[in-house]
Amino acid sequence: MIRFVIPLIAIVLFFLEPIFSLFSPIELNDTFYFFIPRFLIVYLIFIASYYSRKRAFFYGLVLGILYDMYHIDIIGLYTFMYPLICYVSASIIRQIERRTSTVMMLSLVMIVMLELLSYLFASIIALTSIDFNEFLTSRLIPTVIANSLFIGMFGYMFKQLIEKRFSQKQAGF
Amino acid sequence: MPRFFSNKRLIILLVGVIVLVALIAFSLRDRNHANVPEQAVKDVVGFGQSLFTKPAHFVTGVIKNIDTMLNTYEENKRLKERLDTFASMQAELADVKANNVKLRGIIDKQEDLRAYEPIQSTVISRNPDQWEEKLIIDKGTTNGVGVNMAVMTAQGLIGKVILTTPFTSTVELVSTENSNFRVAAMVVGEQEVYGLIEGFDRQSRQLIMKRIDSSFDVKKGMTVTSSGLGGIFPRGILIGEVTEVSTDDYGLTKLAYIRPAANFSMLDHVMVAKRSAIVVDGTDGGNSVDAKGGR
Repeated sequence: MIRFVIPLIAIVLFFLEPIFSLFSPIELNDTFYFFIPRFLIVYLIFIASYYSRKRAFFYGLVLGILYDMYHIDIIGLYTFMYPLICYVSASIIRQIERRTSTVMMLSLVMIVMLELLSYLFASIIALTSIDFNEFLTSRLIPTVIANSLFIGMFGYMFKQLIEKRFSQKQAGF
Repeated sequence: MPRFFSNKRLIILLVGVIVLVALIAFSLRDRNHANVPEQAVKDVVGFGQSLFTKPAHFVTGVIKNIDTMLNTYEENKRLKERLDTFASMQAELADVKANNVKLRGIIDKQEDLRAYEPIQSTVISRNPDQWEEKLIIDKGTTNGVGVNMAVMTAQGLIGKVILTTPFTSTVELVSTENSNFRVAAMVVGEQEVYGLIEGFDRQSRQLIMKRIDSSFDVKKGMTVTSSGLGGIFPRGILIGEVTEVSTDDYGLTKLAYIRPAANFSMLDHVMVAKRSAIVVDGTDGGNSVDAKGGR
């Protein structure tokens, strides 16, 4: 049963992201803040850390293609970035201790990296003209805060679930 | 320090980057058309997405209802004050409408730029990375939605359709940074003043209306609607209110800042306006013609 729960959660998070982005931008004191939901990549980083790098890579690739075709209409951005982030985080987690708090910190760092990469792409293909300072204050910081809330709420649950599946797989299911 | 990339991986990475660049170049070339596999993916993912979004809209709707219920007393007081003027205005409107029909009959004019057939639809998702202001709605070509049609809420214009598949369509909001997004608009006053909505001021979140003839007098607080002269949008969709008037870079025409009437976040139900009069690919469709070199 739990076998299907792992990909199912990935799909649910994929569909939840655009719902949360419907609330953004939020206006506070006459400034607009953009919150970019990055739930899926957090989950993929947890899979890469506790389950299997290959699995995370594969989910990242498939959902990245869907993301590009459905939302962005440019195929290749998230198809590239999601697997890259999974790969890099799996390589980092190998070097350090695999505690829940470190994986949580790592996913925050990776969200920052993903945002920077997507800012880079967006400025290269001229989707945006905002400068780096504005990007930092109106997008990056609110995004990190919002996603850290998400990680804090669900990180431990993800870890439990994925470890359960992992030990089940070790037992030969 | 272990080696981060072995030789084999480096080659895979290089090939990956090349494929990626080729794919990006391929899909950037023609973003306003979806080919058959893209359409299929959009329809299937769109269907799945609507299974998630519709319950979410229901929940936010309930919360909104509770929120409005708390303000009922205040609101009721305010509305009652306006109700007195409303009755007389409605009588006048009915009279004017009847008169209009009669006069149209006399001059034998059937076509009306104002007339449109509304297609009700639900917003199923917003571009999550938010570099572009795009929405996806749950009505597509099978429901009669076409590219460049105006999209609005009860408050006013919010954008236009830029891409359609059989069961979904992508809407670009007027708050976009895309400079090819133009709407033929007019300032409503004693005389109508025409101009083009071109661009969006990010800091103040206001629309910029350009190319207003400088001999006309545009004042703060005047209402701006779509003019219907752009070829695709119907006439008279509310866009916003003028907040500031200045001259453009060359000093030849006027430029007005417009506070949009519609709110662009928390969108749930929107309406696509299918114009009844003949549609031509003019200014409103600039997105599809000018930008692509008259294809």
